[in-house]
Amino acid sequence: MIPGRSKIAALAAVGRVLARELAATAALLVGVSLTVFAILALAPGDPVAALLGGNLPAGAERDAVYEALNIPKTWYGQYLSWVGNLLHGDFGNSLRTGQPVAQEIVASGLRTLFLTVGALFVTLAVAVPIAVYGALRPDSRRVAVLTMAVYVVSALPVFWLGYIVIFVFSRQFGIFPILSASGGEGQMVWLYALLPLLLLGLASGTLSEAVRHLREEVARVLNEEYVRTARAKGASVWRHAYKEALVLPVAEIVASKIPFVLGGAIIVEQVFNWPGLGRLAWQAAQDRDFPVIMGIAMAAALVVRLASFAHRAVYVAVNPRASHE
Amino acid sequence: MTTRYSQAQERVSEYSQLSAWSTARRADRWRVLYGAAVAVLVLVSYALGALHWLPRDPEAMDLQAMLLGPIEQGYLLGTDFMGRDILTRLILGIQAYFLPGLLSIAIALTLGALLGVLAGYRGGRAEMGVTYLSNLVDSMPRLVLMLLVIAAFKPGIYTIMAVVGLTTAPTVATLVKGKVLMLKARNFIESAVALGVPPRAIVFRHILWYNCRTLLLIQATLGMAEAVLIETSLSYLGFGVQEPTPSWGNMVQAGANYLLQGNLWVSSAPALAILATVLGFHLLGDGLNNMFEGGQRR
Repeated sequence: MIPGRSKIAALAAVGRVLARELAATAALLVGVSLTVFAILALAPGDPVAALLGGNLPAGAERDAVYEALNIPKTWYGQYLSWVGNLLHGDFGNSLRTGQPVAQEIVASGLRTLFLTVGALFVTLAVAVPIAVYGALRPDSRRVAVLTMAVYVVSALPVFWLGYIVIFVFSRQFGIFPILSASGGEGQMVWLYALLPLLLLGLASGTLSEAVRHLREEVARVLNEEYVRTARAKGASVWRHAYKEALVLPVAEIVASKIPFVLGGAIIVEQVFNWPGLGRLAWQAAQDRDFPVIMGIAMAAALVVRLASFAHRAVYVAVNPRASHE
Repeated sequence: MTTRYSQAQERVSEYSQLSAWSTARRADRWRVLYGAAVAVLVLVSYALGALHWLPRDPEAMDLQAMLLGPIEQGYLLGTDFMGRDILTRLILGIQAYFLPGLLSIAIALTLGALLGVLAGYRGGRAEMGVTYLSNLVDSMPRLVLMLLVIAAFKPGIYTIMAVVGLTTAPTVATLVKGKVLMLKARNFIESAVALGVPPRAIVFRHILWYNCRTLLLIQATLGMAEAVLIETSLSYLGFGVQEPTPSWGNMVQAGANYLLQGNLWVSSAPALAILATVLGFHLLGDGLNNMFEGGQRR
C-alpha cells in the first residue's frame, strides 16, 4: 500500500463524514425554523389586523390588504418568504423599536457570546482538575467533599446568587457599579464583566454534569488496555490517554452544554442588567415582539448546531476510525 | 438434585434483589436517603397546602412585624416586606410547581417510553425519527423556547410545563431506546418471542415494566428538579406565577431589593428552599442511577 494514497483515502472518508454532518445540520435548522414558525403562526391574533388597529376587512378586501403589504396569503408562502429573508440576513424589523432585528441580534449576541464562552472556560477550568483528581483517587475523602460542593453549587438558584454577589461586592467592598446598563464610569469595569461570567460558569447547573462526565471518561480510559500497556512499558500514560480521556469529552461537553449556558445567560443577564441576547429575548417576550424572538431563536439554534458540528469534526479528527462507521 | 439447583437459583435471585441497596456505596445511600427525605417533605407540604392546613394566613399582612428574621415574634421563618409569614408562603409555593411538574413528568415519561420502545424495537425509520427529534429539541435553549411560547400564547404554568414535558420526551426516548437495544440482544426476549408471547406483552411487561421502570423513576426525579428550576426561573423573570400567589421564584424576586439594602433573609429563605429541593431530587436521581443502572450517563 502506498502511504500517500491511504492518506488521501482517509481524508476523503473524513470529508464524506463531515459532508453528512453538514447535511444533518441543515436538516435540523430547517426543523427548528419550522417549529419556530409554527408556534408563532398558531399564536392567537393576526399581526396584519393589529397593524390596522384591529379592524381587518374580510374577503376580497382582506386579500387586497395582503397584496398591498406584499404578504403571501398561504402559510407556506409566508414561511418561505421568512426563511428567504433570513438567508439574506434580513430578520425583519422589531415591532417595538422599528429597528432592523439583525443589527440588534448581532450587537447583543456578541456580548452574550462573550459571556457564554467565558462561562464555559470557567466551568472547564474548575471541572477538569476536580474530575481528573477524582478519577485518580476515587475513594478519597477530599474527592467526596469536592463532589458534594459541586452538587450544591450547581443547585444554587443563579438569580439569587447573583444578588448575593452584587450585594457583597457593592456593599462590603464598595467596588461595583450596581446594575448600570453599559459598564458604568467607575473603575473596576473589568470586574463588572468578570462576575457574571464567573457566576454563569459556576452556578448554571452545568458544572456537576461536566465533572461527572469527565470523571467517568477519565476513569474509563485509564482502565483501557492500551493505557495499561503504556504504563507497563514505562511510557507516559497521559501522552497516550489525553486524546480519548480529555479532548473528546471536553469537546462533547462544550457542544452539548452550550444550549444550557445560553439559557442560563438569560437569567444572569437579567440579574446583572447585561445588555445581551437574554435581555433582548426577555423584552421581546414581554412585548410579544415576534420578529425579535424568532430571530433570537434562530440565532441560538445556529450557534448550537455549529458547535455540535465542530464537535463532530474534532471527533473525526481525533478518532479517524469514526469516519468508517 | 433439581430442587436443590432451583433453590440455589432462587437464593441467587433473592440476593440480586437485595444487592442494589446492600452493595451500594455509602455515598450513594446517603444521596438516596437525603433525596427521599426531600421528596417526602415536598409531598407532605404539598398536601398541607392543598388542604389549607397552614400555620398562618398567607395573605395576612402584619405591618407591625415586617422583614423579621427567623424565630422573631413567634414567626418561625420570619416575615417578608409586607409582614406576611414566610413559612406559610414557602409551603404554599410548592403548589406553583408540584402538579404542573407532575404533568410534565407524565408527558415526558409516557411519550418518551413509547417513542423509545418504538425506536429500539422496530429500529429503522422510527429510530432515525427519534434521533432527529432529540437533536431538534437540543438545538434550542429551553428557556429561549419557553420565551417564544410565552410571547406567542401568554400561557399558564400548566401549558408551560406541558411544553417542558414534550421537550423532555426525546431525551427519555433516547435512554429507553438504548436500554431496549441492549435488552434485545439478551436471551429472554428471544425466548419470549419463541414461546409466542404477544409483542404487546413483551414490550409493556418484559421490557418497559421489568427492565425500564428504574430508569423511568430516575428520569421522573430529575424531571421534578427540572420543573422546580423552570418554574422558579420563569416566576423570577415575571412570566410564571404572579404575586400575590406565592412561588419560590417570585419570592426571591420580590425580596431582591431588600437584599441589596442588606436584608438578606427575605430573598434567601425561598432561595434556600429551591437549593434544598433541587439538590434533593438531583441526589436522589443520581444515587438511584448509580445503584440500579451502574452509573451510566443519564
